[in-house]
Amino acid sequence: MDWITTLAVQGLHGMVYGMLLFLVASGLTLIFGMMGVLNFAHGALYMLGAYFSFSILRWSGSFWASLLVAPLAVAAAGMAIERFFLRKVHAHGHAHELLITFGIAYIIEELVKMIWGNKPLLVVLPPALSGSAAFFGIQYPVYRLFILCVSLLVFILLFTLLFKTRIGIIVRAAVANKQMTDALGFNVPLIFLLLFGMGAWLAGLAGVIGGPYLITNPGMAATIIIDLFVVVVVGGLGSVEGALIASLLIGWLQSFGILFLPQFAIVFEFLLMALVLIFRPHGLLGEAK
Amino acid sequence: MKTITLRNTLLLMAFLLFLALIPGLVSEFNLNLITGMAIYSLFVLSYNILFGNAGLLSFGHAAYFGMGAYTAIILFKKLKFGILAGLFSGAATGALLGLIFGLFVVRLGGTYFALLTLAFNQLVYAAAEKFRFLTGGEDGVAAMRPKLALPGMASIDMFSSVNWYYLVMVIVLAGGAFCWYFTRTPLGRLNECLRENEDRARFIGYNVYASKLAIYVISAFFAGLAGALAGAFQEFVTVTFINLDKAAEVLIMTFIGGARYFWGPILGACFLTWLNDLISSWTKHWPLIQGALFVALVMYAPNGLSGLVMSLRDRLWAKAATPRPAA
Repeated sequence: MDWITTLAVQGLHGMVYGMLLFLVASGLTLIFGMMGVLNFAHGALYMLGAYFSFSILRWSGSFWASLLVAPLAVAAAGMAIERFFLRKVHAHGHAHELLITFGIAYIIEELVKMIWGNKPLLVVLPPALSGSAAFFGIQYPVYRLFILCVSLLVFILLFTLLFKTRIGIIVRAAVANKQMTDALGFNVPLIFLLLFGMGAWLAGLAGVIGGPYLITNPGMAATIIIDLFVVVVVGGLGSVEGALIASLLIGWLQSFGILFLPQFAIVFEFLLMALVLIFRPHGLLGEAK
Repeated sequence: MKTITLRNTLLLMAFLLFLALIPGLVSEFNLNLITGMAIYSLFVLSYNILFGNAGLLSFGHAAYFGMGAYTAIILFKKLKFGILAGLFSGAATGALLGLIFGLFVVRLGGTYFALLTLAFNQLVYAAAEKFRFLTGGEDGVAAMRPKLALPGMASIDMFSSVNWYYLVMVIVLAGGAFCWYFTRTPLGRLNECLRENEDRARFIGYNVYASKLAIYVISAFFAGLAGALAGAFQEFVTVTFINLDKAAEVLIMTFIGGARYFWGPILGACFLTWLNDLISSWTKHWPLIQGALFVALVMYAPNGLSGLVMSLRDRLWAKAATPRPAA
């Protein structure tokens, strides 16, 4: 393979992971922007998506059914977390909210180990998604292209919803100023609940499509949460556009980092975060509060 | 704050006497359990300098603990360091790492502080996994506890659990006493002031950045010392000393014990170490119980066990005191 194809393939790899990361990070950053709480359990919800999908696939035998049902189940779990745990400690302040999501993440991880075991699980893909496709003289796995398509589709839907519809305006208003939105007569606690559900749905969806690609295992929450935190810090907490840029940056840093300096791939990511925190402490597109 | 009274002095003497007598009262297994409690007490005290006093929520304190543990055990093994030299080198490297990371993290507060400490912890963890020639990666490093050689005395064997218990107790008590004393020093007072109102501290003319950095380094020093003790205690250090679970453990212990009172985190460390030992014989799902306990306390008792104890005491006290004004 010549250099250009190698670069193109690595660029595509990075984009696949970056877009997957964006699916999870977009919900995380919106929830942070609106509630001021960084949801530690977000990585665990993503992991739940992968495990739910595994079980649904086993019962129904259909990957498509799991793609539809598993994210909804994760959304329900996410809304339960918001309604029954997060809302109750809201009065104690942000530190307690951070701690409760952290405790829940811890419990979910242990439950997953208890129910599904400690070993990685293998998800069998439908024939339509396995194998590889050839284009411009490159052989590329169909499944990764599928991930890219799904995440691009969701990305377009999310941006349309957020920036072109009335619901999006209300959500963005609540992210920008909670009290004012409340005073204008919108039911802010309900918006919180629904936003949390949507964030969990996005994380669950990323888990379903990411599971077969990044391997369904009990450590996947801890692995992605680090990347997620780097994404929200670099992009700026609360900024969806920032999350998109940062997700793609991280994806490419990893794929090209592995290509050029495999030993130090992980260091680049933290280096990027350290640089952003030194020169733009509130992230690339974040606003100073 | 309480002053040093005769009663408190006597209580302290009785407590020290009790600690000194423990090796004669309990089995070797329980003695080791108590040694473990003492080591973790020092770790949570170092953590609470940040969490309880400064109001800084760190998710990366295992970095300094692990750094201390690795330093001590590698020095014991490769350079044949004595026990005290190894332990204090561990504390020193913990402090050094704290200084390097502190330069970045103390500029931030709240969520950003939590995130950056977490990221740095992962960086150290990744390094410990990669530098196999030093750390052995996942396999870890093992080394025997060396003898304690004090000048002018015969060297003392540290292989015996009783001797080791006494050494740990002396170091932990000295470290704990310093942490307590620190809350009363001007810098320790400033630490609490920064939690309450950082802008005001800056306005009065304190150098907030330098003060926070100093506090961070002190905290890292004691975390490193606790890690070195834990490494020497197990005579074996792996990446579990430095991973996210360890960083979570110290946070959970501190929170369950209650960060508000000085003795709260110690209560948490002792209680969880004891409960862990008790429950491990029934079930392997200990982390699940620990997590559930943590969530329950965050929701219903934000000041932890020590907060519960104190409010119970206040309630009993109030009951005893109310009849008097009524008469």
